[in-house]
Amino acid sequence: MTLWFTAALIALTGAVRAEVLLSADEIEQALSFGPWPPSFHTDPSNRVSNNARAIALGEALFNDPVLSVDGAFSCASCHDPEQAFTTPEARALGRVLLDRNTPSLRNLAGLRWYGWGGKSDNLWAASLHPIIEEQEMAHSPESLKTAMSESAYINDFEAIFGVIQNQGPELVLVNAAKALSAYLGTLVTDRTQFDDFRDALERRDFPAAAYYPEAAQRGLQLFLGRGNCVFCHNGPRFSNNEFHDAGVPYFLNETEVDEGRFSGLNFLLSSPYTLEGDWNDDPDRQGAWAVRNVRRSHADFGTFRTPSLRGVAETAPYMHDGSLKDLNAVVRHYSKINTERLHADGEAILSQLNLSEQEIADLVAFLMTLSKAPY
Amino acid sequence: MIRSAFWFMIWSSTAFACDVTGQRMNSEVQNAPEVYLSVDEIPLARPFSVLVSICSETAVGQMRVDATMPAHRHGMNYTPKVTALGGGAFRVDDMLFHMPGLWELQVYVDINGQSIFYSSEITLK
Repeated sequence: MTLWFTAALIALTGAVRAEVLLSADEIEQALSFGPWPPSFHTDPSNRVSNNARAIALGEALFNDPVLSVDGAFSCASCHDPEQAFTTPEARALGRVLLDRNTPSLRNLAGLRWYGWGGKSDNLWAASLHPIIEEQEMAHSPESLKTAMSESAYINDFEAIFGVIQNQGPELVLVNAAKALSAYLGTLVTDRTQFDDFRDALERRDFPAAAYYPEAAQRGLQLFLGRGNCVFCHNGPRFSNNEFHDAGVPYFLNETEVDEGRFSGLNFLLSSPYTLEGDWNDDPDRQGAWAVRNVRRSHADFGTFRTPSLRGVAETAPYMHDGSLKDLNAVVRHYSKINTERLHADGEAILSQLNLSEQEIADLVAFLMTLSKAPY
Repeated sequence: MIRSAFWFMIWSSTAFACDVTGQRMNSEVQNAPEVYLSVDEIPLARPFSVLVSICSETAVGQMRVDATMPAHRHGMNYTPKVTALGGGAFRVDDMLFHMPGLWELQVYVDINGQSIFYSSEITLK
């Protein structure tokens, strides 16, 4: 049963009559998208994750080209802090044009998987791989140790991790990645208009909730209902942090494909930098159950990690290959999805929604409220 | 936020003395030993544990647990860890339901050399 909670928002002036459109069940579901921001938890796998000096060093390294072998670019070159820690290009430009869109780096603390293909199970490993990836920063552990030793950051590095000359190159690499990770773990998107709405609903303060635009409310209803978006985009981050086929082509060219989670798992399971590995600082191996127990399946082929929708309006273009230029295009993609592109024996989740123009506008209006103002 | 799980199962008393709690799982095998499932809360997209209790006078061999979403044609992305507690009780860790909707929790119990299948339906909101 749909309950219409009418709030006499501007009763004194009588100018506008605003309403909360959600049913009781929809309100219960809306509450599951918060509260926001989440409480901060130290990363037990990274002993410096809550160390102020390590956080400051991580931020400095993030913005300095010292982490690329030839000083050509920094992490911030692709993950621009002024552009929601991404860039507007469809696909990232490292030393070559890479295959995937640059993901934003906010709200990363405590995830189960990192990257479009989930090739890391912790944030310091996700920070480490680009440093040594040939198509990105292209350092070797040895060249990184030399660069760090000769950099302006050597005093801070040694104050945190000890004398660098007593550390092997791989340990220097891991320590640098843990400093980066300490910084990245602090990046959280701001509260949004949606959060004010959600919290007002939790307080049962319907007059306050009714300030949330009706178009966004209708979009939320579609998101929870006929759109089936909530199957994958759930929880306070609007992501289940698992891997799905969203019907986006995974052919890179006529002869190559992006294997997505399939290759991500291959990488993960051969990596020494997982929570199950020796570089984990946590003797209890919290979170390592996932890499121990994760299943491999042919259906992993061409699936990609569900992105968070927090701050989504600030991170165009979209999808793993950046092929959709704006949120309108994303909603239209799902509305007219080509089911022939989906795995024949994969998940049976997506079908054409055949949304009206009004419904498309409503869904976009809702998504826009997941970012900070101005909307 | 912890989501609620609603159980669509028939409550039943045990056929013989079997001091367990939880809800009885379904089996199409006649005279199959009763199996009970106990779980506090099931959080969406986060790991949880269940307790499976098998009321059998015969020694229980291996026990396997899995779960699927029939309407979505997929199962869990992780293999649960099963630990025998003795007396026909098993603790199952590292279960993870990554989507809301109807899940079928499946248990295979080896008794007298026969693998018996049990299931329960769980709707995760």
